[in-house]
Amino acid sequence: MQPANRTSESTPASGEKAAAQAQRRQGMLLASPGALYLLIFFVAPLALISVYSFATRTSTGRTSLSGWNVESYRAIGDDVIVGIIGRSAWLATLTTALCLAVGYPFAYYLATRPRHVRAILLVLVMIPFWTNGLVRVFAIRFLLGSNGPASALSENLGFGTFRILFTPTAVTIGMVYSFLTFMVLPLYVSLERMDWSLTEAARDLYASGSKAFWKVTLPLTKSGIVAGSVLVFVPSFGSYVVPDILGGAKTLLIGSYIARQFRDARNYPLGAALSVLLIVAMLVAVALNQRSGSGAEGGDRPRRRRRGRARAEPEPAAVS
Amino acid sequence: MTGAVAAVEIDGVTKRFGEVVAVDNVDLAIDDGEFFALLGPSGCGKTTTLRMIAGLDLPTEGSLRIFGEEVGMAPPDLRPVNTVFQAYALFPHMTVRQNIEFGLRMRRVKDPELSQRVAEATGMVRLSGMEDRRPDQLSGGQQQRVALARALVNQPKVLLLDEPLGALDLKLRQEMQQELKALQRTVGITFVFVTHDQEEALAMSERIGVMSEGRLLQVGTPREIYERPASRFVADFIGRTNLLEATVESAGTVRLANGARIEAETSLPAGSEVSVSLRPERARLHPRGTADAEGSSLEGEVRDITYLGHAVVYEVAVGPMSVEVRVEGETGRPFGSGDDVTISWDHGAAAVVAD
Amino acid sequence: MSGNVETGLGPRTRRLLAGWAWVVFAFLYVPIAVLVVFSFNASSRVNIWGGFSFQWYGEALNNEVITSAIRVSLIVAAVSTAVSVVLGTAVALALDRYRFKGRRALDGTIYLPIVIPDITMAVMLLVFFAEAFKFIDSFGPRFTLGISTIALSHIAFNISFVCVVVRARLDQFDRTLEEAARDLYATGWQTFRRVTLPLIMPGIAAGGLLALTLSLDDVVISAFVAGPGSTTLPVYVFSSIRRGVTPELNAISTLMLAASIALVLGSLALQRRRASASQQTQVL
Ligand SMILES: Nc1ncnc2c1ncn2[C@@H]1O[C@H](COP(=O)(O)OP(=O)(O)O)[C@@H](O)[C@H]1O
Ligand SMILES: [Mg+2]
Repeated sequence: MQPANRTSESTPASGEKAAAQAQRRQGMLLASPGALYLLIFFVAPLALISVYSFATRTSTGRTSLSGWNVESYRAIGDDVIVGIIGRSAWLATLTTALCLAVGYPFAYYLATRPRHVRAILLVLVMIPFWTNGLVRVFAIRFLLGSNGPASALSENLGFGTFRILFTPTAVTIGMVYSFLTFMVLPLYVSLERMDWSLTEAARDLYASGSKAFWKVTLPLTKSGIVAGSVLVFVPSFGSYVVPDILGGAKTLLIGSYIARQFRDARNYPLGAALSVLLIVAMLVAVALNQRSGSGAEGGDRPRRRRRGRARAEPEPAAVS
Repeated sequence: MTGAVAAVEIDGVTKRFGEVVAVDNVDLAIDDGEFFALLGPSGCGKTTTLRMIAGLDLPTEGSLRIFGEEVGMAPPDLRPVNTVFQAYALFPHMTVRQNIEFGLRMRRVKDPELSQRVAEATGMVRLSGMEDRRPDQLSGGQQQRVALARALVNQPKVLLLDEPLGALDLKLRQEMQQELKALQRTVGITFVFVTHDQEEALAMSERIGVMSEGRLLQVGTPREIYERPASRFVADFIGRTNLLEATVESAGTVRLANGARIEAETSLPAGSEVSVSLRPERARLHPRGTADAEGSSLEGEVRDITYLGHAVVYEVAVGPMSVEVRVEGETGRPFGSGDDVTISWDHGAAAVVAD
Repeated sequence: MSGNVETGLGPRTRRLLAGWAWVVFAFLYVPIAVLVVFSFNASSRVNIWGGFSFQWYGEALNNEVITSAIRVSLIVAAVSTAVSVVLGTAVALALDRYRFKGRRALDGTIYLPIVIPDITMAVMLLVFFAEAFKFIDSFGPRFTLGISTIALSHIAFNISFVCVVVRARLDQFDRTLEEAARDLYATGWQTFRRVTLPLIMPGIAAGGLLALTLSLDDVVISAFVAGPGSTTLPVYVFSSIRRGVTPELNAISTLMLAASIALVLGSLALQRRRASASQQTQVL
């Protein structure tokens, strides 16, 4: 991939510069097909939606690309929409907290098994992580349906049928079910890397078992907690499939509300403004994660020196 | 110079990485068939110099010739040199044989010759029978030998070695030093060897170039470098030494900081501030008043004694200075702390170095 | 010490942890297992077990709409994976080892499709295609939403995922190996072909598998850019679920599940084979 400058007559200085120039050209050439594709099919749509958010909705539900205004952004202040955003944020936070509470002890257990057991258990976590998300949400829907197996079982046991589907509880269960593995895997990685002689040192220095956990283990796995939380919070906040399948009219979340603007409601500018807001919120969340993660591992690694002198180590089993 | 073309000739070469001057205006000629060591502390520019000879880095200024041919800007595949990399850089996805034949295949050497040369090179580094293993199935020493064979099979005119023994443990390193020397005599080509280990450089090479902070400070045989260091840095970096501050009085005498006048050759003008380098093992220790008349001497008091088994190192206070004296195979009564002693050395054993 | 990691926990805490782990595994697997079991239910009432039967699989696979959706899904997955593997790998290489104009902008943009929610990506692309078609239609040809817009959209997010995975591999790449090849008379292209490419191949394969999985999984974006005549299987399932749960849906879902699991196990087996190969060599 290096440039081949085969003229040995040229003076050194110009040769060095020519080599650098050839490098730049080659890099550009290599990147341009992908970059061009992203420009057309990602950056342009992103720009377009931003433009739309300042457009006007005509009375027929069409979008008029003139008469630019910030009406749509102002409409976000509306009680109904604020309520939807608030509910989405609350559900995403609740989901993240539940995933952490369920996932931390679980990941802790996995990470402290003997090596060969660990490998098998990890596969059992990877399978739901990689399986089709829609099917998994459907499984919950099927299980919890008012005439589904869970309800039938409860009836046979004499507890009567139950109606949980189309409630916020069902949506929360579905979200935790969908995103739990997103929390478990980063937690597992940071716990597996944990140097347990540190907790032994803490015990040696008169810490009780729980003190050692709160003062040593938990802080040292902070990067996994932060990464897992972002991985759960971001998709649950913008989630569309889960509330659509498990939630009722009462659990309208921002993802479904945006979709509605582009379907039945035909209010593109409002949907566009909400999308822009959602994107900005997600970017802020990820940026905050990056900032807090860069202190510990998991953040931006410093760029490796150009000459790789270190021997390539056998890579640990790739997880995420 | 004998008039024969130098194997490698470096002329006013400078290499800058942005602000960093990695190699600073270096001139150097390495003779054909020579075992040459580039020696210096880590970060002094040895690797960069070697990489410019190989064509892996291009010089910012200056010119570089290999057997008289200007190659400063030529890409690595057009230079008659090969490199043994610091961590070997064996291709992990290829077998030993595939690694060794890589260069020949790139140059489209065809089969009877190809397999013959590969077999020859494999035998030369005593790896016959391991051709089908992969690098991670080999020990460090074996990997090192594959790296050597992979370079030598191409019959380069110059072989460049970047700290090739650095990754080996002490015992293996000493064995490989002997093996490499023997190998160089067998193939007869020029070896340019980079190391930060001064003992290794002294033991292996015919000539040494000492580098510091991008500059080439001194080039000479191991004996010249050790016994006639040209600067305080070289004296200090190669082996242990006492550096005593002094002022030149005349061409044959200098005056030490404690006022003692000693004999030492120097061409520096009177009044120059210099250091006198006295190797601990070149000094002798006597009870006060029993020193030989020959040579130079200093009077002092034993401060500290370190017992090393095969030798004893005495630290002697001479006025405000401290002088280390190393006595090998000690006979007779050892000295004790607080003893009054005289340190003596032969004429010519101490060298005057500029500060 | 039986190879167990010593964490300094008491025996009671350990038993609690173990119990909890199995509760979580049950939580992860029971809903799926129930779905699979009921897909073989002969009864058409979803809450009553009426004996074992393959009936619903037969009906699903005889349904013209479903088979066409399967075909669309497979074509889209294959095309978007192939294109994004090539483009994503090239971008990863460029970002890893070259400085050029616009590098920083590209480096930032490449992560966006991964970060932003599916629904926003979906509406962005919907609006974009609508505007683009309006523009193109004014020149004569008529385009509509369909299989090609789905594929174009999947490539748009898959490039980023492939790029990130390949780059992680490149990050571990020892570049002295390329220098060694150059030193052994390989030209730039030969170095790439014989050394760089074989060594980053596992990363490219992993990126490709990820792209394949994501394309087969996607429902939100496909739902927005699919045309009336062509939907993917997940989009079909999604819209059917809204109309109600049927035993036929159970059967299709089980098939999708089986495909996902086969993909995971296949890639894990691939990974394991490589790992055990290098472990064996270390023993020798
Ligand atoms: N590619 C590079 N970019 C920037 N600086 C470099 C590069 N290579 C070497 N240097 C710098 O040049 C100096 C000499 O490095 P090097 O030749 O590797 O030293 P040595 O081999 O003697 O340890 C060091 O200060 C090093 O940091
Ligand atoms: Mg070096």
